[in-house]
Amino acid sequence: MDFLYHNIHFIGAFGLMFIGLYMIAVKKNLIKKIIGLGFVETGINLFLIIIGYIKNGTAPIFSKAGLDPARMVDPVPQALVLTAIVINVAILALALGLAIRLYGHYKTLNVEKIRGLKW
Amino acid sequence: MKKIISFVLLVIIFIGIYFAVSQIPYGKDKMSVSKHYLNNGVKENGASNIVTSVVLNYRGFDTLGELTILFIGAIGLGVVLFGFETKGKDIKSPSLILNAGSTFLFPFILLFGIYIFIHGHLSPGGGFQGGAVIASGFLISYLGYPKKRISEKGIHIVESLGGTLFILIGLLGLLLGGYFLSNILPKGTVNTLVSGGIIPLLYVLIGIKVGAELAGIIYKLME
Amino acid sequence: MVSTVWQNPVLLIVVPLGLAFFTPIIGLIRKELVKYIPILGMLFNLTLSLFLLPKVLDNPIIVSLSGWKPPFAINLFVGPVGILFSILISLVGLLTAIYGINYIKKGAVEKYHMLFLLLLTGATGIVLTGDIFNLFVFFEILCISSYALVAYNQDKNGIEAATKYLIQGSLGSAFILLGIGFLYGLFGTLNMADIARNITTVDSPALFIAMALFITGFGVEAAIFPLNAWLPDAHSSAPSTISAILSGIAIHIGIYAIFRVLYTLFGFNSIFTVLAVIGIVTLLIGEMSAFRQENIKRVLAYSSMGQMGLIIFALSIGTVDGISGGLFQIITHTLSKSLLFLCVGYMVYSTNSMELSSLNGLGKRMPLISLLFTIGVFSLIGLPPFIGFPSKLSIILAGLKTGETLFLILIVLMLLATVIEGVYFFRIIQILYFKEPDKEERFKTPFTLLFPVIILGLLIVAIGIYPGLLQEILDRSAEIFWDKLSYIKIVFGG
Repeated sequence: MDFLYHNIHFIGAFGLMFIGLYMIAVKKNLIKKIIGLGFVETGINLFLIIIGYIKNGTAPIFSKAGLDPARMVDPVPQALVLTAIVINVAILALALGLAIRLYGHYKTLNVEKIRGLKW
Repeated sequence: MKKIISFVLLVIIFIGIYFAVSQIPYGKDKMSVSKHYLNNGVKENGASNIVTSVVLNYRGFDTLGELTILFIGAIGLGVVLFGFETKGKDIKSPSLILNAGSTFLFPFILLFGIYIFIHGHLSPGGGFQGGAVIASGFLISYLGYPKKRISEKGIHIVESLGGTLFILIGLLGLLLGGYFLSNILPKGTVNTLVSGGIIPLLYVLIGIKVGAELAGIIYKLME
Repeated sequence: MVSTVWQNPVLLIVVPLGLAFFTPIIGLIRKELVKYIPILGMLFNLTLSLFLLPKVLDNPIIVSLSGWKPPFAINLFVGPVGILFSILISLVGLLTAIYGINYIKKGAVEKYHMLFLLLLTGATGIVLTGDIFNLFVFFEILCISSYALVAYNQDKNGIEAATKYLIQGSLGSAFILLGIGFLYGLFGTLNMADIARNITTVDSPALFIAMALFITGFGVEAAIFPLNAWLPDAHSSAPSTISAILSGIAIHIGIYAIFRVLYTLFGFNSIFTVLAVIGIVTLLIGEMSAFRQENIKRVLAYSSMGQMGLIIFALSIGTVDGISGGLFQIITHTLSKSLLFLCVGYMVYSTNSMELSSLNGLGKRMPLISLLFTIGVFSLIGLPPFIGFPSKLSIILAGLKTGETLFLILIVLMLLATVIEGVYFFRIIQILYFKEPDKEERFKTPFTLLFPVIILGLLIVAIGIYPGLLQEILDRSAEIFWDKLSYIKIVFGG
């Protein structure tokens, strides 16, 4: 129980990545693979946020006077995650567009039935 | 069989990664560069939200790249779906509630999005978040009126202008301040709307551009 | 200050980016103008890079962005390697853009030219940046635009290849992001010089895992052996101009990224032996698979894979000579493979088929293109007097100089691969020249298609005859590329 308490954040982040990778490796439906890709990215974003966390930290915003910069969480990972999310949006949009076209060509999204695609 | 193999493989990989991760202390202060941002960020940029300061000034070049990626996503979708004929399925007209609700909500969602990106340097939020909110406004208006379209030309002009102006502001910084994207405008008083030099300006541009791009992506995928 | 603004290296990235952003508005004014925009952007880049080359050979330039000194803001490291790559990118980009004016007619033409320019901008950004996360962002620009461009033809194969490429490529970039997260967790900074300065203070398995993640992530783009399933499909089903860019530039950028990270950030020398072996395995597998192909573009794609193996081997020899040979081989491969893909693009365009058998007797029907194709092939195999000869020679010499048995064995294997390469390429040349053509009529080649190919052919011959022209630049580049301490000193000391 103690282990779980101290590591729950990492388990969450890597669990998401794990689920995503498993979906990409095993699922046959292209849409499910794309969802898996989304899972992986979300897990990584969570991991980045965890890295920047400080116990009992506050948001890095000086909204009123007298806030102590030493108690603020790290702003850089938050900026990185913002970028990573936007990148992820672009990738997923493109992937869905490609899936629509593939469905138009083959009338199926099962990657085993799509010739030439060896996964 | 394949499932078991991939499962076992993944478990092994993740145990390895877990041991590596446990080397990184959790919840401890391990910043080196960001200490500088937290201690001097307000003085150097005049924006009270340090994350905004990092996104748009210290790492502003990344944000330019990020905008480019979203732009690529939008054009790439256009390339992939070019000439894709819709089957002409008749779309059921939505119920009265959705119809009236979307008309009512649309201006408020727009207003909220604008509020978020204008206050990006003061409070949580910013151009990307505000842009996403604006795009959701377009999504709800699409649900309410499936036959209505915003002009694609308009989207193109807005996103193109947003990107070009971002780069022009950066180049102005190069010309006047000696560095690309340097903060050339006066910093103003901290915690007022007009503060932070070029930061609010850039966030407004980003907000409009992101809103237009995401709306474009939504419309393209809906068809 | 104003007088020197125009030679700021940041313009190499910003100007093409601005042009690409502005393209939709130009497209609204006049549609025909759009296809000249990539030419404009690349012409600017080529001029500026050539102008900067003599300056950076003495002292690499550090460009701070947003007005703060490194490590507090992103900085560009404009060294000889970066400028060398930037020259290559803009040269090949320029020639391919000229080729594309008349070649790309169907589809979303305007968007093609935007994505094309953005792809090249991403590549330039990768080679110039000095910040690990910025490198990742530019890497994504390169990757995402290439996913979209592979699918440009919208035929079955193109869409399939693009989907495959997208899933594998974005998994790769997810790994890179994870690696960046590890590094940030350990060092609290993203500046490469800052990390390199502190890397000896941390000794933990996290560092090793981060390195493995980087190699895997960039390795997808660089087509290292177990990660290259996407390459033959993507390179063969993209439009030929894009195949030329992907084979000529994108995969080399992946290799650059791997070795920039390995040389500058991590100091594990033992990894290089492993990479050298992987390189030779990639080389052998690529060449052997190319041997069996019946589709001309797939032959070239597999041959690219093999060449990547050769370059990885050269760069992992771990001496300045080896790196110089590797860089030379990158130049060889960029010039020859873009030449080959552009030639083949025209052949496929006129015969409407990618099968080897459809090339029967093309030597009589389009003599000039076939001649240039032959030049490219000879240069890839490494025959004198073309550029491939001095570059392969310098790799072999660098390997022999180390005097280790392992490298000796690997060089023997490499020569074996060259023989295989020679056999299948000579088969194509035999088909071109010694088979009876189906029809007698000759093809007329438009000037815009011919001009870039001729320039590439001339460059291959010219550098092949006078390799001394490049040798000095390459040696200096290799020295700076390899030397971690001077990298740190240049970033912080200047």
